[in-house]
Amino acid sequence: MKRLTYLLRRLQWALLSILFVITLNFFLFRVLPGDPARAGIRDPRLTAQAQQAIRERFGLDKPVINCFETLNPLKLGKCGVNPLETQFFIYVGNLLRGELGTSYHTNRPVSSMLGEALLNTVLLVGAAQVFSIVFGIILGLVAAWKSHTAVDFTALTASLVAWSLPTFWLGIVLLFAGSTWLGLPVVGKLTPGMAYPHWGAKAADLGRHLILPTLTFTIVVLGEYMLVMRSTVLDVLSEDYILTAKAKGLSTFQILKDHALRNALLPMVTIVALNLGFTVAGAIQIETVFSWPGLGLAIFDAVGRRDYPMLQGAFLLIAVSVITANLIADLLYSYLDPRIQAGQS
Amino acid sequence: MRTHRSFWMVCVMLALMVSACGGQPTPAASPSESGAGTAAAPAEQKSPAVVRVGWAGSPDTLNPAAALLSESFVIYELAYSALLDLELDGEYSPDLAESWTHSEDGLVWTFKLVPNTKFHDGTPLTAKDVVFSFNFYKDHEDFPYMTGYTTAFESVEAPDDTTVVLTLNEAIPNLFSQIVFLYILPEHIWKDHTEGAAATEFENLELIGSGPFKLKQYAQGEFVHLEANRDFYRTGPKVDEVVFQTFSNLDALVQAIKTGQVDMITEMPNTAVATLRNAENVTVVTGAPLAPDVTDIILNQAGGDNCPTDEGGVCSGHPALADRNVRLALAHATNKQELIDIILLGLGTPGLTLIPDSLGTWYNDKIADYPFDLVKANQILEDAGYKDSNGDGVREMPDGSRDLTFRLNWPSDSTVAPRLAELLGKTWGQIGVKLEMQALDPDALTSICCPAFDYDILIWGWGSDPDPSFLLSVMLTDQIPTGMSETGYSNPEFDDLFIQQSRELDPAKRQEIVWKMQEILHEDVVYIVPFYSKAVQAYRTDRFKGWIVDQPKLALDDVTSLMVVEPVR
Repeated sequence: MKRLTYLLRRLQWALLSILFVITLNFFLFRVLPGDPARAGIRDPRLTAQAQQAIRERFGLDKPVINCFETLNPLKLGKCGVNPLETQFFIYVGNLLRGELGTSYHTNRPVSSMLGEALLNTVLLVGAAQVFSIVFGIILGLVAAWKSHTAVDFTALTASLVAWSLPTFWLGIVLLFAGSTWLGLPVVGKLTPGMAYPHWGAKAADLGRHLILPTLTFTIVVLGEYMLVMRSTVLDVLSEDYILTAKAKGLSTFQILKDHALRNALLPMVTIVALNLGFTVAGAIQIETVFSWPGLGLAIFDAVGRRDYPMLQGAFLLIAVSVITANLIADLLYSYLDPRIQAGQS
Repeated sequence: MRTHRSFWMVCVMLALMVSACGGQPTPAASPSESGAGTAAAPAEQKSPAVVRVGWAGSPDTLNPAAALLSESFVIYELAYSALLDLELDGEYSPDLAESWTHSEDGLVWTFKLVPNTKFHDGTPLTAKDVVFSFNFYKDHEDFPYMTGYTTAFESVEAPDDTTVVLTLNEAIPNLFSQIVFLYILPEHIWKDHTEGAAATEFENLELIGSGPFKLKQYAQGEFVHLEANRDFYRTGPKVDEVVFQTFSNLDALVQAIKTGQVDMITEMPNTAVATLRNAENVTVVTGAPLAPDVTDIILNQAGGDNCPTDEGGVCSGHPALADRNVRLALAHATNKQELIDIILLGLGTPGLTLIPDSLGTWYNDKIADYPFDLVKANQILEDAGYKDSNGDGVREMPDGSRDLTFRLNWPSDSTVAPRLAELLGKTWGQIGVKLEMQALDPDALTSICCPAFDYDILIWGWGSDPDPSFLLSVMLTDQIPTGMSETGYSNPEFDDLFIQQSRELDPAKRQEIVWKMQEILHEDVVYIVPFYSKAVQAYRTDRFKGWIVDQPKLALDDVTSLMVVEPVR
């Protein structure tokens, strides 16, 4: 019962946050100056009628919300407008029907563009996260166990350096090195125009394209995981029960695995959960360097083109993933450490 | 247990990556191997000759009616036919139209089509498709460009399958420059997408046209994969396939041609030119661009009666900029050669007016530019009464009311503008002019620009058509309220000449008028045009030969080159 109330309360907060994001997301782009119908396409060939038609097509000719033509407070509109015919309610109504609108740039539905991009990002981020979590945990454990030795020092220095490397710089260095010496591809996710004899060949091609961006991502995130893991394991190792375990004659591996790891995982889960949410967007630099057709690149392009429906959709998606990741982390806490749930109620 | 499972996963993934890494049929390398293989191996017909093009852009849509980006038009040129083609020397050549005649008054044009032509899907192309396409473009006001290209059309008819009769509402001299962009769409596919928003939202993912290449595969923002149309009504391409691959990173683009992952690149940062010139099997070519983008230094002259207050005009421009003497002094204080050497690393020519040199005969190369001369510039300001009376290094207005301190803004996505601004600040500072510089988001820039005229000086630019008319139109008085004129410049003589050139059917006479218009713009110092950038492209010499590099304009990605390149034997 307690568990259910806890779950419900968490869900409720998550929903409220999402509603807040939806509203903020809408107004965020409306307070920016300028007119999307003109900014994207400033061209003497574009007639006034064409501009007006574009505005109408994207619903930009309607008032933003009741009483406001635009979000410029100096320009009060008519308050007699049916609230349901304002941009805000049309936007919310469409969202409720699962429609994210049409991209200004490609005229395609935002949802399908985001869907394709998300899949690619999940592939890249997923692979990199698996590598960095696994290696981060192992490195952190080893460094903590061998603390204040050469092993620890090397791992620590390497992690600090990796953590502080500028992502795009590392990406470009790896791009040059990988393409020059290993002949690795520098662009996209598959070689266009390849005829694959079987699915294995296609997977291999995908794998080759994944190597450089995944490596970059792994190096960048790995350092953080390792550092957090090391410091929490160090804390745990100073606990009495570790001493007891040692006294019982357990092997190093058993102590680390059964006694230290699980207790040290809590902060790790927090960071991983936060990162998972943010890396959906955080891959912007890596995806741009390697022309990886994911969400980060889509956002980068949409910002450059002032493609507001696309940006709104992407921001909403990121917000939902961050909120969901946090929700999962919260729920995982109570599984990993039952005291947390008790504390909540 | 959990760690053990993860270990397994890592092992599996590592194994997969290593095998992918080491597995010898390396996909990226195999095309180049196959290209080389065509030379020696007898199994020639098995491996198609694929030209890989690397570029930094990608089409915004495959729907020609809705497209805005020049990359889209590059693809349309390959996949679609138009009645005429624009050649790299600026001339128009027959494409789908074999021959054409026009009535004495230039109002009725009759085009004879090449007989027995087919669309990529095998359906015959007839004059009815031409009529459908022209009407389709004309009937939709929300098509960004196509409506503009069809404004002079009164009616289009197809008396028989190979004849198109186009009647204009007024005789215009630049009909061909518009017709080349009117791609012929198959009526049987498009007739279901003619109503309202459906026309622009139709994704046209099959890209059925009648051009020399047809679509094989398309991934938005990633690549466009075309194959040769073997049923093309003229001599078809010599290669089998062309792939346009999008790079979001220019360094990767340069690296890709160095390592042979692509065979040609359509652009590169000027900083990469020296490296690539030294690279093995790579040739760098420069020339006048096919679709030039001109960088302009825009001086706000809007004020008084010209201020479009009804359209939200603020007209807060510095009053000194309304004085030709000040604009002239700024022009004399602009060291164009230095700007070219530093910003473009020499890959440009000094600019005169907004009509770039790559517009061929329309470009007036007889104009003598204002030489870089700081002494003269200082003298002009001194004589006009702009003196530095308080000795702070900045001149004041003749009545002493304010300093010659100008706000200078540019779009934050421009790579050229920040350095240009910095260099301008340096030389203009030496004539007692101070600049307050700020990059602005293009949206914000649009809103201060026009028709608000809430700025002093902007660095911005226009993309150009092959015909000068559209570019010249931004200087018209009646474009001030529409926001197309960013200067607020108004000159009745210029307005009058514009109308004359848009009606003059004799090319030589029209050229005379267009040249005169450029003289006026230069004389009045409406813009200061620092330079015209060159197109910089590169191709691999060990893959394909026959790239067209000796024409007045350079565009290796143009259909003219892609039709004739062939694998190196």
